[in-house]
Amino acid sequence: MERIRCISVSHKSAPVDVRERIRMDGESLREVLDPDAECFWLNTCNRSEVYWTISGPDAVYGLLCRLSGFDRARIEAMSVYLEGRHAVSHLFSVASGLDSMVLGETQILGQVKDAYREALAAGSTRTVLNKALHRAFRAAKRVRTETGIGAYPVSVASQAVELAEHVFGDITGSTVLVVGAGDMASIAARRLRDRGVRSLRIVNRTYETAQALACELGGEAGRFEDLERELASSDVVITSTGAARPIITREMVQRAMGIRRNRPLIIVDIALPRDVDEGAKECYNCYLYDIDALQAIVDRHFAEREAEAARAMAIIEEEVATFERWLRSLSAQATIRDLYALADAIAVEQAREVSSKVDATVVEQALRTSLRRMLHRPVSFLKEHPDARHIEYVRRIFRLDEDHEDRHKG
Amino acid sequence: MHGLTLTLYALAGLGFVVQLIAGNTRFLGVLRVLYLLAASTLLSSFVAAWVSSGLPSAATPQQALSMLVLFSSLALVPLVFRERTAALAAFFLPAAAIVLAFSAPFSGPPGPVALAPHRMWYVLHTVSVIAGEALLLVASVSSGAYLLHERMIRHGDIHLKISRLPPLTVLDWITAVSLASGFCAISAGMITGGLWATATHAGLAGVAPKAVSGGIIWSVCALCVHQRFAVGWKGRRTAIMVLFCLALMAVLFVGMNTFFPFAHGVRLI
Repeated sequence: MERIRCISVSHKSAPVDVRERIRMDGESLREVLDPDAECFWLNTCNRSEVYWTISGPDAVYGLLCRLSGFDRARIEAMSVYLEGRHAVSHLFSVASGLDSMVLGETQILGQVKDAYREALAAGSTRTVLNKALHRAFRAAKRVRTETGIGAYPVSVASQAVELAEHVFGDITGSTVLVVGAGDMASIAARRLRDRGVRSLRIVNRTYETAQALACELGGEAGRFEDLERELASSDVVITSTGAARPIITREMVQRAMGIRRNRPLIIVDIALPRDVDEGAKECYNCYLYDIDALQAIVDRHFAEREAEAARAMAIIEEEVATFERWLRSLSAQATIRDLYALADAIAVEQAREVSSKVDATVVEQALRTSLRRMLHRPVSFLKEHPDARHIEYVRRIFRLDEDHEDRHKG
Repeated sequence: MHGLTLTLYALAGLGFVVQLIAGNTRFLGVLRVLYLLAASTLLSSFVAAWVSSGLPSAATPQQALSMLVLFSSLALVPLVFRERTAALAAFFLPAAAIVLAFSAPFSGPPGPVALAPHRMWYVLHTVSVIAGEALLLVASVSSGAYLLHERMIRHGDIHLKISRLPPLTVLDWITAVSLASGFCAISAGMITGGLWATATHAGLAGVAPKAVSGGIIWSVCALCVHQRFAVGWKGRRTAIMVLFCLALMAVLFVGMNTFFPFAHGVRLI
């Protein structure tokens, strides 16, 4: 049975200055591995991993030492080597986001798929790794759909979307106002746009900066002086400016709520110091969340994800067991092929003996069918129980190895 | 038949509550069928009683309660069949099962009101008042869900499975529509009730306590509608007012039927 092996250098085992020096590439890998070996490599900001078959770990360690400039002892200390079932389980966990820094995140699945496409294009994966990766994708899908691990958003932008969905339902028709054009604000705005928000407005003290971000995100820029009017026409406000004092006061929100006839307004204030006067929380139908309130929600969501991770691991174990059964059945394939070849040889021989009396092709076909029917039961048994012991028995009972040698001699 | 209806309501209610708490919609289809079965059983007994006696069975307060459950169940059908609002059944069905446990089946003679000479006014009055009250009950169910969901959102408890309630704006819309249509139905009931009383020459003395209680409910309803649609009380305030209105209606219903049991239809003839 072919063993899958893996060396992983991730955020769990190595600091960032080490991780950034280790980037795998297919060409170097194929140079050091056995020509018949399959290989797959994955590079993300948090991990560099390689999966391969046939060859031992020395060749890959040698390559890692060469790439990073570290000695073998240091590489071994900052990496994890796995093989067989553990390597497969690790691959499935990585694809499902269970090994990620943010437990249950989905971005990693896309990265694994991209890496697989690259490996496929390079012809580095074949039967075993192809099957392993397809099973990994299946496991990831099951984890997403059968557990609640993805149901608990843990980023600020996702949190804002989640809150807005609880209030408005579908947020694609809502108007989102982003106050500030800094990093946090633009990340949040991007996430909201990715979630289908069509009307995105950006307000900043410097109008040109707001315009630049609006152009980039496909939104519209507004003037800072019109902030109150913008509040009145928006459904979700995300604010993250560097202002030292609140730029949105309770009175502004109160007036805006009057104009919008108490239509709900969600304000997510991720600035420090805060941009929104705390008193705005008291305004009717205004939902104000500051960074602490969001962090409290995020913490609860992390706890929920941890709880769901146990269920996800059970799914991973199921999928690993299925893959291992398939891998074992691969070793029975050669025996099954030999059994059928034996049956065919017998059928041809018998047909030749009676060919003078009746049509040889018909007889050969009838014999072939009969023998295959006879072999159906042992073959099914072998497929269901592809243990080495059973395969060995079958080969000995039917003397398949002798026939194999005879055929080769012949 | 009444026992079967009660069992179906209780089972469907239990199912919807469990589904809401577990956050799992796998059995939603089965629960919807159970809901339809419960409502259909109640409807068929109501129709059968109406056909056999020629009048809707609302002669006793208990029968009126059965009719209230029937009408509100029918009003909720479109909401139960929408993915987003199906959870409202978890709030309605247990309450409906409790009300049904204290109500009476639609059977037997509709009472002395059958002798009333102006059946049409009686039928219109009964149906429109109870339909109005049923819509108010739907508005109350939606209001209860609104208050619960809003509390969760304010406290950031959106990770709870039960927080998969309909969005606030949807709940507010259901409350507003049910309240407005319920108010129209109650108004129609007040008018037809007056016409019926006049036609039977009952005089003011025969209907006064019921008319006063009906007038109080109508006034509170009118206030709710005004605040919601003219002043713009969206959300929490309307939800609280609707629940107050329902509580008032329940108190007046019990009070009237306890202290003035004959001050309605039966007394008029």
